[in-house]
Amino acid sequence: MKLNLCQALGRAMREELARDGQVVVLGEDVGRRGGVFLITEGLQEEFGARRVIDTPLSEASIVGAAVGMAVRGLRPIAEIQFADYIYPGIDQIFSQVAKIRYRSGGQFCAPLVIRAPSGGGVRGGHHHSQSPEAIFAHTPGLKVVMPSTPADGLGLLKAAVRCDDPVVFFEPKRLYRASKEEVPDGEHLVELGRAALRREGSDLSLIGYGGMMPELIKAAEALGGQGVSAEVLDLRSLVPWDREAVLASAAKTGRVLLASEAPRIANFMGEVAYVVQEELFDQLLAPVLQVAGFDTPYPYAQEKEYFPGANRVLKAAARLLAY
Amino acid sequence: MFKTFTERPIALIGDDGKKVARQLYPWPPETLLQLLWDMLRARLVDERLVTLLRQGKTSFYAQSSGMEATQVALAHAIRIGHDWVWPYYRDQGLVLTMGLSLPRFLAQLLGTKLDYSKGRQMPHHFSAPELRLVSISSSIASEVPPATGTAMAQKYLGTDEITVCTFGDGATSEGDWHAGLNMAAVQQAPVLFVCENNQWAVSAGLRTQTAAPNLAIKAQGYGMPGYYVDGQDVLACLAVLSEAAEQVRREGNPVLVECLSYRYGTHSSADDDSSYRSPAEVASWKARDPIQRFQRFLERQGLLPSEEERRAFAAQVQSELEAAAKEAEAGGSPAPEELFDDVYSDLPDHLAVQRALLLSER
Repeated sequence: MKLNLCQALGRAMREELARDGQVVVLGEDVGRRGGVFLITEGLQEEFGARRVIDTPLSEASIVGAAVGMAVRGLRPIAEIQFADYIYPGIDQIFSQVAKIRYRSGGQFCAPLVIRAPSGGGVRGGHHHSQSPEAIFAHTPGLKVVMPSTPADGLGLLKAAVRCDDPVVFFEPKRLYRASKEEVPDGEHLVELGRAALRREGSDLSLIGYGGMMPELIKAAEALGGQGVSAEVLDLRSLVPWDREAVLASAAKTGRVLLASEAPRIANFMGEVAYVVQEELFDQLLAPVLQVAGFDTPYPYAQEKEYFPGANRVLKAAARLLAY
Repeated sequence: MFKTFTERPIALIGDDGKKVARQLYPWPPETLLQLLWDMLRARLVDERLVTLLRQGKTSFYAQSSGMEATQVALAHAIRIGHDWVWPYYRDQGLVLTMGLSLPRFLAQLLGTKLDYSKGRQMPHHFSAPELRLVSISSSIASEVPPATGTAMAQKYLGTDEITVCTFGDGATSEGDWHAGLNMAAVQQAPVLFVCENNQWAVSAGLRTQTAAPNLAIKAQGYGMPGYYVDGQDVLACLAVLSEAAEQVRREGNPVLVECLSYRYGTHSSADDDSSYRSPAEVASWKARDPIQRFQRFLERQGLLPSEEERRAFAAQVQSELEAAAKEAEAGGSPAPEELFDDVYSDLPDHLAVQRALLLSER
């Protein structure tokens, strides 16, 4: 069946709620309203208000309650309406979610999923467009995931629910309804920590995740028209990230372009760049380049210019090829 | 049933040990004596541990002396090992009375192998899975929303457990405290919130935390019952906390109990209280000591153990402590490479690389 990302994420939760009575969904507006993006639409009708819980407007409560539930044996999926509003819940994420297994010596743990739409694309200004994934990747104890396709949205979210570790699951909202694709009918799981090769190539590697992926594919197609063979790799998971796949691609092409919508300073891709140069210094044909958001808040009127789309990727690719 | 939102703390016995309430005391002499022994034990351990610190065996200690009535009564008011407890860091009297063994208790302070948390936490972060005593985070009030979540899960699973959540007066100023209480009331989660108001958050006194007449009154804003109790009166604490715990269990709704108490020691071994409170203030609260007060009560009832018995008990606690310290130290420290365990349920590649690096430094 063909689904868009929203529908695929909804299906993932429906299937997990049906599979396991310990799974619950909680968040602002997730129940009667079905979520502001309608991703949880119909879930409360189907599974009841006990399992699909409308909460007060409080991210600390949502995340905190999810931790306490998980410690007592449930598998909560907490929705934060926008990643931009995750901050009131951040002490819960840093002090409780990320640390309870470690600080208790493995005696208590909190397997849960925090879903949060991130990135631009809905003309929401800086409080509806941010990409804060690096902060979470920088916090030991969290796994960080970001799908870019409906099939991955389905398979990664289901895998995240079953994961024994807490997973912060960012959803590129610009791709929610961007396209539909054929999604496997039966049980579909995507292992966390594994990248996906979207396009094979030999001249350079375009590596990204989430909302950048369609831009990288667009850029690769344009490069193909110029006779340049670009490989496109989708990280899908930031923690843990697929070193093997990245290094294999980088070793093959010798030219690496890392793309992310998040601001440039301390961007997660800086870590990937570091490992690439550390491991493959003598095999690189050019410095590793990064395309990222600007180090400004996400603007409203200049949203298009802020976003590091295919054109900016192509310019960087040209620099890379010129070495 | 006790009255909610009283202007003055609920008390059953006065400083002189005389009854001040009309209620009868339903507890048999064994319970009354157990309360005394548990308070004495908490006090003795607290005092002896300062010695451990002076010997340089642990890096940090935060005394709970003065708060025994509240902490011991709470342990007596709940179903230990059945109810879940999200405590805070100054809960020695609670965790010891709940049954955390002295070797485990000391191992946590020393960060040795016997420590449940494998030496991952600084002193005062006790936990015990068999007691359902959840591991503590230092981040003030961060246990409050999770306690609400545990109670929501208990309700979801159809258990008759309740969740107990403790915190100090300072915690009530945090956003997460508000968030957790509000959520508990809205979700009708069976949580017993216990504020151990010792009136000082490091150097910030109660009037720096709140303009409200007391902390229990805040429950009203969430639509839950609030009880204001004399935290130096172990019988009042036991009566109100027991009743509140059973109310939470029966009705499936949260309750807030504030126990007005006092900490005799500094905030921690890293603190000096001379800059923010007077010796006279400390002395005035020591004059209202919960153990002395209860002993006066027991004396009036003809139940007070003789001085000899009490001295023998102290000697026994001392020798238990010495044996426990040896046991806690015997296993040694956790291996350095264990620091990579339990970050995740598995060992991701990047941690495997870092673990190998650490091992190569040997």
